[in-house]
Amino acid sequence: MIDPVFLEVSVVVLGIFLLMAEAFGLAKEKSTLAWWAIGGLAAVFIGTFFIGPNSNSFEVSGFYVVDGLSLFFKRFVLISTILVLVMSVDYLPIVQRLVPAERPGAGSGEFFILPVFTCAGLMWMVSATDFIMIFCALELVTISFYIQVAYLRRSMSSLEAGTKYLILGALSTGFLVYGITWFFGATGQTNLVAIREVLPLIPVANHPAILFGLALVLVALGFKIAAVPFQFWVPDVYQGAPTPVTAYLAVASKAAGFLVLIRVLEPFFTVPSFQNKLFLALVLLALLTLVFGNLAAIPQTNFKRLLGYSSIAHAGYLLMGLAAIGDAFAGGAVVFYLSGYLLMTFLAFLILVPVTKASGGDDIAHFNGLARRSPGLALAMLIAAASLAGVPFTVGFFGKFFIFEAAMNQGLYLLVLAGIVTVASGFYYYFKVIRAMYWQPAPEDAGPVAITKTSSVAIFILAMLILILGVYPQLLIGMLP
Amino acid sequence: MLQDYTPVLLHVIIAVGFATVAMIANIVLGRTGKRNPTKDSVYECGMVPEMAGQPRFSVKFYLVAMLFILFDIEIVFMYPWAVVYQDFIAESGTIILWSMLSFVLILLFGYVYAIKKGALDWSR
Amino acid sequence: MSTQTAPWIILFSPLAAAVLIFLIGRFSKTLSAGLAILSAATGCFLSWWLFRQTEVAPQLSLEWLNFGPELTITIGITLDHLSKVMLLVVTTISTLVFIYSTGYMRDEEGYTRFFAGLSLFLFSMLGIVLADNFVMMFIFWELVGVSSYILIGHYYSKDSAADAGKQAFIVNRIGDFGFMLGILLLWSATGTVAFSGLLSAIPGFEGAPVYLTVACVLVFMGTVGKSAQMPLHVWLPNSMEGPTPVSSLLHAATMVAAGVYMLARIFPILEVVPDAREIIAWVGGITCFCAALMATQQNDIKRILAYSTISQLGYMVLGIGVAPTSSEAMFHLFTHACFKCLLFLAAGSVMIAMHHETDMWHMGGLRKKTPVTMICFIAGMLALSGCPFTSGYFSKDLIIEWAVLKIPFLGWLAAAAAGLTAFYIFREFFVVFFGKARSEHAEHAHEQPVSMLVPMLILAVPALFAGLPMIQEHFFTLSHPDAHAVPHLLHPFLYAMFFGGAGLAALLYFKAEKDPVSIPLFANRLYIDDVYFWFVNKIQGGGSIVLSWADRWVVDLVIVQVPSKLTWACGFALRFLQIGSIQAYAFFFGAGVVGLLYIMLSK
Repeated sequence: MIDPVFLEVSVVVLGIFLLMAEAFGLAKEKSTLAWWAIGGLAAVFIGTFFIGPNSNSFEVSGFYVVDGLSLFFKRFVLISTILVLVMSVDYLPIVQRLVPAERPGAGSGEFFILPVFTCAGLMWMVSATDFIMIFCALELVTISFYIQVAYLRRSMSSLEAGTKYLILGALSTGFLVYGITWFFGATGQTNLVAIREVLPLIPVANHPAILFGLALVLVALGFKIAAVPFQFWVPDVYQGAPTPVTAYLAVASKAAGFLVLIRVLEPFFTVPSFQNKLFLALVLLALLTLVFGNLAAIPQTNFKRLLGYSSIAHAGYLLMGLAAIGDAFAGGAVVFYLSGYLLMTFLAFLILVPVTKASGGDDIAHFNGLARRSPGLALAMLIAAASLAGVPFTVGFFGKFFIFEAAMNQGLYLLVLAGIVTVASGFYYYFKVIRAMYWQPAPEDAGPVAITKTSSVAIFILAMLILILGVYPQLLIGMLP
Repeated sequence: MLQDYTPVLLHVIIAVGFATVAMIANIVLGRTGKRNPTKDSVYECGMVPEMAGQPRFSVKFYLVAMLFILFDIEIVFMYPWAVVYQDFIAESGTIILWSMLSFVLILLFGYVYAIKKGALDWSR
Repeated sequence: MSTQTAPWIILFSPLAAAVLIFLIGRFSKTLSAGLAILSAATGCFLSWWLFRQTEVAPQLSLEWLNFGPELTITIGITLDHLSKVMLLVVTTISTLVFIYSTGYMRDEEGYTRFFAGLSLFLFSMLGIVLADNFVMMFIFWELVGVSSYILIGHYYSKDSAADAGKQAFIVNRIGDFGFMLGILLLWSATGTVAFSGLLSAIPGFEGAPVYLTVACVLVFMGTVGKSAQMPLHVWLPNSMEGPTPVSSLLHAATMVAAGVYMLARIFPILEVVPDAREIIAWVGGITCFCAALMATQQNDIKRILAYSTISQLGYMVLGIGVAPTSSEAMFHLFTHACFKCLLFLAAGSVMIAMHHETDMWHMGGLRKKTPVTMICFIAGMLALSGCPFTSGYFSKDLIIEWAVLKIPFLGWLAAAAAGLTAFYIFREFFVVFFGKARSEHAEHAHEQPVSMLVPMLILAVPALFAGLPMIQEHFFTLSHPDAHAVPHLLHPFLYAMFFGGAGLAALLYFKAEKDPVSIPLFANRLYIDDVYFWFVNKIQGGGSIVLSWADRWVVDLVIVQVPSKLTWACGFALRFLQIGSIQAYAFFFGAGVVGLLYIMLSK
């Protein structure tokens, strides 16, 4: 039996070890670092299945909780990081081209090490039950992301993305801390469990203070999960950042953000006066996010940017699930949606990397004729796009289905209507990619797309999982906490 | 309820109005003294600059400064730690010491990394 | 091995074989055929083993989709006497046909694809047999349709084969649509789709009886499509474009019988809705007679058998409509599977000998060239035509007896169809095996390899003897009508029909050079195909012009183009918010904060 805190500790130790290995030049090939990282994270992943009871030895019980939900998300984060590293290995040539170095390859080792630290931060984030802990974990994640987004120092768009993410991220962090101080002022607590106990006792005169703090925290977490109107960084940052980092941002960062949001909002749902306000805010945010994300995605021509808007749209569906949190199935529906979202988003990005390398860009037009160049890749992309759009017999369909069901049960008919309409527009923009692959002619000189063994194995597994869970969702539902 | 905000509205109107009036007055009245080359010459505006206004610092300066701040704050962090947990240390011994040591250790690894990467090597 | 795991192994081993063949089959023809036969034989062995087990453990069922308390769909197994017998039929015949296929397909292209398709079909068929609820059955029902489509279109480069595949698929859709509506109606009436739940809920059903009647008739639509009853029978003769083992297995012995099996599965429900059973009986009776009429004037050896299959399926459906239990229809399904499969295999053997010539007027005199095939054909023929003491005699006469008792007109119609049956099958027999060789190929015909003959010889045994009371009592508990109640004339009439039909055929065709009889009405299949063709061409063609106009100007322009352009414009406009300047983003961010604060703090 492993003490739960050792999971994060060992990820940090792994990161430090890799950093030292890089500093002392232990790894001849930089990709070796990635393989070590993958191996280490896989070991930690296995370790999550041998977790003992929550230990009190470090006086951490108030800060840190290990329940089924956090354990599920720890595994979620570990798998995401492993997939990001697999993708990064494929992406290495582009990194080496776009990072200035005295010797060839120098300066690209950290590209594999930073995700490990991010991973530790995300793992802490999903276990955090105290605002201080949430803040620290969030900062570890965000700061390491600033570096990763701006990693390609010769690429203007990457630098621009880094700057935008840094400034807007700092802004949102400011709001988070300010919100926490209001909570602390009104309740005298930073611990969510304690806040939950104190909340019903707060005099009505102090309610605006709590609501003020709540609004500010909602702003900060809305930034993390890309909810409208705090989503403006998303398209630019997604497009400019290195592709593996974009995938990481889109999946792991968003998922952890949602989990923290669920944890933070949960105490406030127990008090009716807060609940009503919160409910209204969430419904409005969900509505705006759904409409904006889906409509703005329609005219896009760049695939990464399209996925950025699509990630906003998916945040809309997830917020819909959050607004319906009163339903018994809503929490499970959100977690199911996030898991499906992991599969299909990583699948799309895993395919994007080799296609970008072979075609020299990440516009939708660079997918032209992929069905004839690499039918297997095109088929996998077809599955990813179909699942993102929510076609039946893919996991994406059931994700949306469960969310809509929960929203219906809660009487959120307007949101469900908006959801269904926007799903239809989603079909339009995802199928642009399919049209490019299957109906547009390939460029004259284009051959098959080269792809590494690991990536193709990962692509195969993800595509199969999307289909299997699309037919038999109970498989995943059984694993949900 | 909205009437409560009437003073605020008045305040805004006065602020905007004053600024507008002042700027328009400036334009209208300022026309009397037209610009000419003599008026724009150095004599009337100050000294002739001898170099670019802001000297460029080497980027290494920022790097070293940042590392300095990082380790400086580490030390600053230790003072309140030692004061706040004074009683705790007396009671239950070394566990809190180990926590702080592990924190320092992590920073130490960062320091080693910085040295190996040549961050403190000014000549490079 | 427990009775709990065995059905799952039976069900999934063909799927595993199909996947393996798909993955590694291209390396070796023997390997792919071997995998397919191994999976079928495993199923066959386990089915017989299961059949011998008297004690059956309660079956597992996995929850598949949970839509709350109103609807939970499971994947589970029904293992009762009915499904055990059907398992025997399906797996045994499949195994024999698979073995036969190794010989039949030896020189054909797409050998591995063929075996993958066969295995996939077997998986889907077993799914229908073992399903414990309507939704699961429907899914496998559709899967059977897909694999049938793949197998009919095996020679997809041939236009007629591709068209036949499409036709089969589309005609089946019509039936399946009704089937699905029927399932939904039954579900809304009882709140469950599981067979066990349905059967216990239906007798106490308190709604209007007409509701159940409509639901049952709609479910029966599925049978009409899949079991090729009139008026949806047109696809079955055309599906003879597929390789002969496919015709034998899918379009004679098992798949087309799925419709009858489904009716037998829900027989307790049908018992409480006599109106629906009467409709079923009439459809079956009319189909049985008309298809027999059509068969008398066909010249293609497989098409005769195809119409004969439709006619025999008509008997089974009639049996469901009139007999007191489902065993009578299932008994005929059982014997028919043996003898019709045998007849098709023999026809396939003749075709290979004739280098894929199917017009029987180009054959003749094959009795010396292919003697074993002829013996097998005779066995199947006698059973089909109801020769006394062969299997068909017992099963068919039982259904006719019940029909005469319940609905006399249909009973006598079915008895007359028995005479037509004897006539058309003896006609085929004499033309193919007697007379002079009428073509080059017929003169040089030769007997087939052992891999094809052995399955045929094995099948000949049950075709002849499976109906004998001491054998059938192991499989079925049949109820015979009271001997005094049945008109005394019936049995002599049936004997007369058999000998009359066979005799007439001998008289006309024993040494005929060309067809001495010509009845265009029958040869043209009562003009039903032509009516459909005319309908599709004229009415639907005319309608489609109108619809296409409407589609282009109303649907496309007003309903599709305008909103799509509008959404695009909205999206385009929204893009201008994304101006790329960080000051602007921070401004919008701040505006968002103010908006959110307003929502949260406003009274």
